[in-house]
Amino acid sequence: MATFVSPPASTTATKPAGSNPAVIGKEKVDYFNLPCPIPHDEIHREAMMSLKPELFEGLRFDFTKGLNQKFALSHSVLMGPTELPSQSSDTIKFPTAHYEFGANYLDPKLMLIGRIMTDGRLNARVKYDLSENLSLKATAQLTNEPHMSNVIANFDYKGKDYRSQFQLGNGALFGASYIQSVTPHLSLGGEVFWAGQHRKSGIGYAARYNNDKMVATGQVASTGLVVLSYVQKVHEKVSLASEFMYNHMSRDVTASFGYDYILRHCRLRGKIDSNGCVGALLEERLNMGLNFILSAEIDHQKKDYKFGFGLTVGE
Amino acid sequence: MSSSRIAGGVSLPDRGASSSSSKSGARGGVLSRVTSSISQSPVVYQGKRVACDAAFVAKKLLKSTGKAAWIAGTTFLVLVVPLIIEMDRDAQFTELELQQASLLGTPPSASSGQ
Repeated sequence: MATFVSPPASTTATKPAGSNPAVIGKEKVDYFNLPCPIPHDEIHREAMMSLKPELFEGLRFDFTKGLNQKFALSHSVLMGPTELPSQSSDTIKFPTAHYEFGANYLDPKLMLIGRIMTDGRLNARVKYDLSENLSLKATAQLTNEPHMSNVIANFDYKGKDYRSQFQLGNGALFGASYIQSVTPHLSLGGEVFWAGQHRKSGIGYAARYNNDKMVATGQVASTGLVVLSYVQKVHEKVSLASEFMYNHMSRDVTASFGYDYILRHCRLRGKIDSNGCVGALLEERLNMGLNFILSAEIDHQKKDYKFGFGLTVGE
Repeated sequence: MSSSRIAGGVSLPDRGASSSSSKSGARGGVLSRVTSSISQSPVVYQGKRVACDAAFVAKKLLKSTGKAAWIAGTTFLVLVVPLIIEMDRDAQFTELELQQASLLGTPPSASSGQ
């Protein structure tokens, strides 16, 4: 296992060639034609779908207008209480209202997304395919507060049965990850990172097993974080997910369970975790291009109740 | 006699003082002794304590049960009630589609496109 994760930065094809003959004798699976694995930073994708729905509080209204095939403008209004980050256990909220203007340019080769808020925050995302296998992804968050802006650029290289990524960010952040398909269902990966500003470095290992009925993933990092997740597809439109997270440094353990129902006119996601937090998100399609969203989150431990509703027009 | 009885009725120490001398006072002394011996008996004392404890525990139990019921109820309201409503709606749509298909003979793809 360790041989697969040790060269996260090496993007050459020498690694799969060297590792494959070792396993080829055991089974009749064609180990030279393994499927390309999922990117390393997305290995929990299915579990996140039902366990981390985009819950919000207050009102939100999103409007997207496509000007032509590739270019679209978006407007959104957000109103509701915002939590102030504080050290004390009780939450402090104050009412806020924001308008957000955005522009999207979507092309098969180039994707540009920009968002600007009335409080001066700017988000930008770029995805550009430099060649067939190499692509560049960059995200930037700029604020008018000092030391809160950050920029991260990712170079992704997609091989035949492996993917590797090199990450560069401000604050001297360097990261690299590599994931390799070992069998048609199992893939193993690893990552290293170094944050120069905070003088922190770490190494992590990940494994993912998926077939058409279930997905199981595990991730261990030297920061003390252990994440295990399991997603079972009960039906083609129903999936159940569970996740176990353990942080060795802060010694906290969280287990959560969620469901994801895709019905004909709506999508419903719900989750409950061991911290006494319950959440649900309902996206109801009222008409073509008109969605109604209801969000609910109850934190029994903190006695924090968040409810929100919204409309999405366009898309 | 009557005056002493009244006096005995009014103030306890007077009755206690007269109980040693007068007949009616002696009868009252027996009664009070019996009641006091009953009220000070370990059985009654224990009973009282048990009743007190039981009431306390019952109150705590009722409170925690209520809290648990509240948490369970609100969780149910958030997680399960929307699911039931939406699944019911979906089932209704499917039924309606089937009915339309059987009545009009239209292909189900036409009705689902609405």
